[in-house]
Amino acid sequence: MAVSTVYTVQALNSSCSISTPTKTHLGIQQRQVLFYSNAGKKTNKGRVRGGEIRCAGDTIVIGLAADSGCGKSTFMRRLTSVFGGAAEPPRGGNPDSNTLISDTTTVICLDDYHSLDRTGRKVEGVTALDPRANNFDLMYEQVKALKDGIAVDKPIYNHVSGLLDPPELIKPPKILVIEGLHPMYDQRVRDLLDFSIYLDISNDRDMAERGHSLESIKASIEARKPDFDAYIDPQKQYADAVIEVLPTQLIPGDNEGKVLRVKLIMKEGVKYFSPVYLFDEGSSISWIPCGRKLTCSYPGIKFAYGPDSYFGNEVSVLEMDGQFDRLDELIYVESHLSNISTKFYGEITQQMLKHADFPGSNNGTGLFQTIAGLKIRDLFEQITASKASAPLEATKA
Amino acid sequence: MEMSIASVKFPLTFRSVLLADPKIIMISTPICVSSRSTTCRRTSVIVNGMGGGSAKYKGTQMREKKLTELIEAKVAEATQVCEGDRGSDECKVAWDEVEEVSQAKADLRRKLDENKDPLASFCEENPETDECRIYED
Repeated sequence: MAVSTVYTVQALNSSCSISTPTKTHLGIQQRQVLFYSNAGKKTNKGRVRGGEIRCAGDTIVIGLAADSGCGKSTFMRRLTSVFGGAAEPPRGGNPDSNTLISDTTTVICLDDYHSLDRTGRKVEGVTALDPRANNFDLMYEQVKALKDGIAVDKPIYNHVSGLLDPPELIKPPKILVIEGLHPMYDQRVRDLLDFSIYLDISNDRDMAERGHSLESIKASIEARKPDFDAYIDPQKQYADAVIEVLPTQLIPGDNEGKVLRVKLIMKEGVKYFSPVYLFDEGSSISWIPCGRKLTCSYPGIKFAYGPDSYFGNEVSVLEMDGQFDRLDELIYVESHLSNISTKFYGEITQQMLKHADFPGSNNGTGLFQTIAGLKIRDLFEQITASKASAPLEATKA
Repeated sequence: MEMSIASVKFPLTFRSVLLADPKIIMISTPICVSSRSTTCRRTSVIVNGMGGGSAKYKGTQMREKKLTELIEAKVAEATQVCEGDRGSDECKVAWDEVEEVSQAKADLRRKLDENKDPLASFCEENPETDECRIYED
């Protein structure tokens, strides 16, 4: 018995690609799907048996501004963990590739768009932070192509040799993360981003890992500061979410910097993004969870939430000062936060425990990074759902 | 200098218990590069007693060694260049290079700690090459 159904899909255009599996499944009713496209000069007509359709606009692009080196950032590892699966460098490729690929996500390091290699920068007298060392035209072209569902040959900047290596093929993923110093610097690239985050936690420096002394670390930070303030820091105003780390206010005269005060600054009015809040959205709250129900050890935990203005934008700020010492503190705090986009009670706690060895797991950095990861997942699901319902709307018409 | 052992009191099933390793010493000093306290950024510096993983392949071991030497050379160069004019472009670029290579080394160290030797997939395909000789510890 032949059943044929005719769909008129106005939204379907020639930018959809169809991939067929190499093997046909025997024993399954063969479906014949005929596509007719009237958009543009070509008319495509073909038979597809059970293939996967990926249309332009399926990829969502997240921008992440961080000064902690590509792929290293704990945030990236937490994010890929939220989506499931581990992100690995492309197999069999350049061992110095900066790219990470998991089932759903591809992370691209923006250092790959350096227009000047190490020698070139030395000759021109510019640091890697300087926009003159980066090819924003190519960055825009390739991010746009990936977003449109087209694979690209992306250059590789080799951090070991300081040279630009031959390109690697990047296929469009479901989620593309562009990580680096300048994801929001160029206006065109900014417009391609579905969500952007600025991580202001650039000052963790592991001495033994880096292989040089405290003094030279200090000198290095100081020397890079002018360029950092001029080119990188201003991107904060464009970010949808900023994670800022400040000294604690719980310990008077604190010199150790072990306890941190972390702020999650969330822009209001961003599509598909609902800021996290405490108790009553839009009001100002100061909250110390430690008391009768919860005992905390010194210096305790303090939260603050409230609306604010940030670089002329309306924002909501959630702040955590202090440290988590025990599991029950974490779950207690989680149960009082709203709009956290978890799929089940205790998901944040579970994620934090899963990566208890990551830096920041016992304070606001880990908490807010995890929350940001969940927000991105929520954003992704909302966008995907809204795209799926669009063609249905067209058929109803 | 304060010695403390970083530990998170989470159940034993989590890796965090490894942080109670006495070889890890945490030194936290404020590194404020600006005299204005409002813009003073806290920096914490961690000295790791002993690294976790070690290079499996000769190629990786050589790369690690090369990076270490490069860092030392670049630091010496930067210190020298900046003696003249600290605000000069040359000085900025020199310290930026130090930053870059030290980050590359930190990256490599981290991969090895997670047992993800960057040459792993290449060496699976080409075990006979010189770089892929197994490095005996």
